[in-house]
Amino acid sequence: MSEIRKPRALATQAAGKAGKFGRANLAATLKAKEEGKKVAYMYINNGQDEIVRAMDIVPAWSENFAGVCSAKRDAEKFLQKAEAENFSRSLCTYATCTIGFDIWREELGEIPPNTPWGGMGRPDMIIGSAQQLCDPRIKWPQATQHYLRDVPVWMGTMYYPPWDQISDHRDQEELYVKYATEELRALVRFCEQHTGKKMDWDRLEAIVNLSDRTWDVFIDTYELRMAIPTPMDTGDAMNTMVPLTFNLGTQEAYDFYKELYDELKEKIALKKGVTENEKYRLVWGAGLPSWFALSDFQYFNDKGAVFPVETTYRNAEKIERLDLPKTNDPLEHIAWRWVRIWTHWYDKARKRPGSLPKVERIIEYLEDYHCDGVVFHCAYSCRSWHAGIIQQEQVLKKAYGDVPTLIMEGDIVDISSYNEVDTHNRIDAFMETLGAMKRKERANSAGP
Amino acid sequence: MADEQLSGLATAAKYYSDYGSRARELKSMGKKVIGYFSSLCPVEILTAAGVVPVRMKGNVSEAITRADAYMETMICPFVRNVFDAAIKGKYRYLDGMVMPHQCDSLDRTSDIWDYNLGFQYYHFLNYPHLADDPSIEFTNEILRIFIGTLEKFTGRNITDQALADAVRAHNNNRRVMRELYGLRKEDVPRISGAEMMQVLIAAVSLPVDESTALIRRVTEEVTNRAPGFSAKKARIMLVGDQIDDIAIVNAIEGTGAHLVMDDLSVGSKMYWDDVAETGDLIQGITDRYLNKLKIPTTFVSAGNTYEENLEARFGHVKSHIKDFNVDGVILFIYKYCDPYGFEVPAIKSYIESVGTPVIYIEDEYSTSSLGRVKTRIEAFLEMIAG
Ligand code: SF4
Ligand code: SF4
Repeated sequence: MSEIRKPRALATQAAGKAGKFGRANLAATLKAKEEGKKVAYMYINNGQDEIVRAMDIVPAWSENFAGVCSAKRDAEKFLQKAEAENFSRSLCTYATCTIGFDIWREELGEIPPNTPWGGMGRPDMIIGSAQQLCDPRIKWPQATQHYLRDVPVWMGTMYYPPWDQISDHRDQEELYVKYATEELRALVRFCEQHTGKKMDWDRLEAIVNLSDRTWDVFIDTYELRMAIPTPMDTGDAMNTMVPLTFNLGTQEAYDFYKELYDELKEKIALKKGVTENEKYRLVWGAGLPSWFALSDFQYFNDKGAVFPVETTYRNAEKIERLDLPKTNDPLEHIAWRWVRIWTHWYDKARKRPGSLPKVERIIEYLEDYHCDGVVFHCAYSCRSWHAGIIQQEQVLKKAYGDVPTLIMEGDIVDISSYNEVDTHNRIDAFMETLGAMKRKERANSAGP
Repeated sequence: MADEQLSGLATAAKYYSDYGSRARELKSMGKKVIGYFSSLCPVEILTAAGVVPVRMKGNVSEAITRADAYMETMICPFVRNVFDAAIKGKYRYLDGMVMPHQCDSLDRTSDIWDYNLGFQYYHFLNYPHLADDPSIEFTNEILRIFIGTLEKFTGRNITDQALADAVRAHNNNRRVMRELYGLRKEDVPRISGAEMMQVLIAAVSLPVDESTALIRRVTEEVTNRAPGFSAKKARIMLVGDQIDDIAIVNAIEGTGAHLVMDDLSVGSKMYWDDVAETGDLIQGITDRYLNKLKIPTTFVSAGNTYEENLEARFGHVKSHIKDFNVDGVILFIYKYCDPYGFEVPAIKSYIESVGTPVIYIEDEYSTSSLGRVKTRIEAFLEMIAG
């Protein structure tokens, strides 16, 4: 039985609306059959969503589903289902939660009872991405197919040049872009084959263009959060990420950020911050959140700490800053966009001895958003985003200076990994460190 | 040179227990030594570059005491253990390191290795996880980039001839290792699982020709052993990634079974397929490491149906079971290993479908849990016998 909890208070109205996107996305996968549309299981940040949208295939975002189960504190039954099939608890719990649901749905021939938000529709295809994002992106589709044997799996890739302090990644960019473009072209062929429709290239181009504009308005909006007091923090961003992450290339996503932009502008004009008394500004330095414990953001807010910026779910940048080479091929444009976003902080990192791209990004946010410290969350079941956090913390201190930092531990879905008392104690201790630092700063600026 | 006073098996045992000792010797003679991870590393290119390749391993008997200050504990315990050894200075003799993009635990810690160990040479070899045409072309290019970095590091070109010689030498090495494996097909294998593990580990710590010579000596010695006669014992195959210690093998054989075959990344995965010696050698290397090598991080899309796809992914395991007359399979997977972990239900049911029982054990890279593992293996063997 899921536990009923008081939801986190949201600072923006937009954050409240973001949930509707998530709900509608899941509902669309259930309605698709009636509408004669195909459903594809997909995985976020894959660079493939615009193609799928242009082909009128309905994306079923597995991470969205698992995140909802987690937020509802109702994932355990699915995790156990997967565990009973010998999927280890140590594997990505987005994957094991969704696989557990799939197994159960196959057994019943219908959505398991009391599945959060009505569950996801059975896919007609699975589109995986062996992107340099994580292993589960290739293993999860395969593992799912073990239970959905008639469902075809297609696998693409989107790699980017690895970071190297001494060599210039631009020497290799074209190789990576060419490769990624070819993979996207193969995906178009796969979609054509499985929908019986031809790609409408003009439509794709329009969608790609809309995505560019969405990235732009998204960044413009998020940069409003530099204001003091900040009008929106990471607690909200974990909701407002939904349209960018799951609905890229749709007018609704674009409009959502336009609206959020206006809302934040208004708040700034009224000097309305996330908290009454904004004492500490923090960067959410890395990590997917514990969806079942989003109220921890409230815990920070109650202590006067806000997060005007986060690295998580912000895989976008103003298009002009990416300086993308011109191309008439929308697929190549998508490839350039992603290769450039993943390598965006390489140049900066090369300029600061002993730094790393991920750390440069944090430093940039610390400075631009006037932050006092950095909080990381290490989710045990996802190596992709969370391996290397200790190093980021260490390099930050070494290459930049002694910034107060906190690493919290938990998981994205598995609530058994989480200890609220312990987490809150650690946050309290961190607040004391921040307080001491502020007092020292004040004393220093007051002079002798 | 290998110690001529000792038998082949004793030499293997020596290199196994004093891992890297030969590389250290060669280093003191002016050779450059490069450590590498994973069966994905194209060792023929390292050999062609004139460096001594050494496969990196940890020590299951040694507790991780320093790595946790650098790496999260949800990284694969094998990788953490090797890093622990490295940060304690056990790989100080290396001039450089190659990190193939096998899995998240390697990819996402690459900067940690590079940053903290300060090797003169470090290369992240960005293998794709696919083997379709664009991936093959891409891999050819990243291998050329890799060659370029090695040439810069060593200060000498890798000629076509050097590469051809290296390819031949490694194919030869694989062939002799396959011959040695063949001696395990008999009712009582000529070489025990523990001895074999020592040879496998010694083999990846030596320059290829020395490795080949050692395998030959061992083969000769064990061939001359009198054929064994004993009551029928269960014939076990071990499946997993880098199991590189005899502790688990002893746990299996100590219960009265023969370990007769493996599908491990330091074992048969390394030796079953060769690089084509004719045509474009780079293309041949790509083909071997992307298409022929069976490793869960390379997505296989062969087959029209799921069942056909399973054949393409695990058919080699079925062949091994038949050829080596295997009675039971132990799937030994490290905790936090997504690539192997997600395969467990598929490979387990695939092997069971050919009538061979399977036990799945998830464990750490450590002897601390050996007692529990042993108990489970004993129960499994009883079940097979029963
Ligand atoms: S391992 Fe991490 S990045 Fe990959 S699907 Fe799971 S949560 Fe997402
Ligand atoms: S055991 Fe798994 S996680 Fe560890 S190095 Fe091998 S493939 Fe990677």
